[in-house]
Amino acid sequence: MSAAHAEHTGNVFAHLLAELGDHHGFYVGPYKVASLPIILWDEGRLHIYPSATAMEAAGLYRMVEGHPVRVADGHRPTLDLSITNLVVYQWLGMLLLGLVLWRTVQRYRRAPLQAPRGLQNAIEAVVVFLRDQVVSPNISSRRLANGLLPYFLTLFFFILVLNLLGLVPGGHTATGSLAVTGALALTAFVVINGGAIATLGFKKWLGHLLGGGPLWLSPILLPIEIIGMFAKAFALCVRLFANMTAGHIALLSLVGLIFFFGTVLIAPVSVAFSVFVYALETLVAFLQAYIFTILTAVFLGLASEEQH
Amino acid sequence: MELGLAWLAAGIGVGISVLGAGTGIGRLGAAALEAASRQPEIAGETRTLMLIAAALIEGIALIACIVCILLAVKTA
Repeated sequence: MSAAHAEHTGNVFAHLLAELGDHHGFYVGPYKVASLPIILWDEGRLHIYPSATAMEAAGLYRMVEGHPVRVADGHRPTLDLSITNLVVYQWLGMLLLGLVLWRTVQRYRRAPLQAPRGLQNAIEAVVVFLRDQVVSPNISSRRLANGLLPYFLTLFFFILVLNLLGLVPGGHTATGSLAVTGALALTAFVVINGGAIATLGFKKWLGHLLGGGPLWLSPILLPIEIIGMFAKAFALCVRLFANMTAGHIALLSLVGLIFFFGTVLIAPVSVAFSVFVYALETLVAFLQAYIFTILTAVFLGLASEEQH
Repeated sequence: MELGLAWLAAGIGVGISVLGAGTGIGRLGAAALEAASRQPEIAGETRTLMLIAAALIEGIALIACIVCILLAVKTA
């Protein structure tokens, strides 16, 4: 390692992980494009500032290592509800999806009986695949499957577009943040248990928690089933986050090899492997959107089935 | 010294968890391939089931990796 690197006191890996995370301000690649509002909920009061500089000028909070802290005692505020980089990327994703799907819907409205063309083909193929291969076979209740189909379609397309936005050069991966995947998993948790309660009724849903065993086994089965209920949602959250982050870390490590060896000769190897990892990430972007959707459907199907 | 031990633990931990996950997904892939070649007409269904099982195995491996990452970013 070079001398400049040895002087770096912090943990490089931790630094990299922080760079992959969320930022205050809208970034394209490493460049800050715009300041974003900072919204802090601190000790029962709401503070809203139009940007980080306005916040520092107001004197109550200042930025330390990319996070707002109180000037008085250096603590983080109770809740940081700011519009961050990844929030903007989610908005971008929604906008993109809205435009593409709106155009498709318009085409169906205009010519409902004609063969689909262009982008409409692709969207229709994906929608039909999700309906016939993912949602219907896994959820036995017809009413539930049809009622929740829009949720599953939204889930798939939203995760997919966020994953792909992260692969556009300069883009940031919103699904590579635990806050975003956690929120997605939380909605999945609500849908799984809400769907089960709506189909089975509250009593039978509680009966599910016994795992179908005899009553004397309940001291063992009850904790397992309750933990399992939360573990499913937690695993959904971590799986998506880790898959999207792992590819980026692999890319960074490969490019980092050039600086680690300090020679340009290693660059062809790095670039070749990076292109491979990038292609793999594109596959993973589709695969993880599919996996998240199908696992939610499978869990919902398991939870809303009648006991045998 | 303690930081070095944490990094060592992270390295060993990720190695062992990858061993387990690799074995699991390898066996899963072998079984799915065998099923698909014995009964090519159910290859589509097998693929879906395989992906679900692979995702579950992967989930466990990823949780292990998170533990290792927490060790690797230990600062004090």
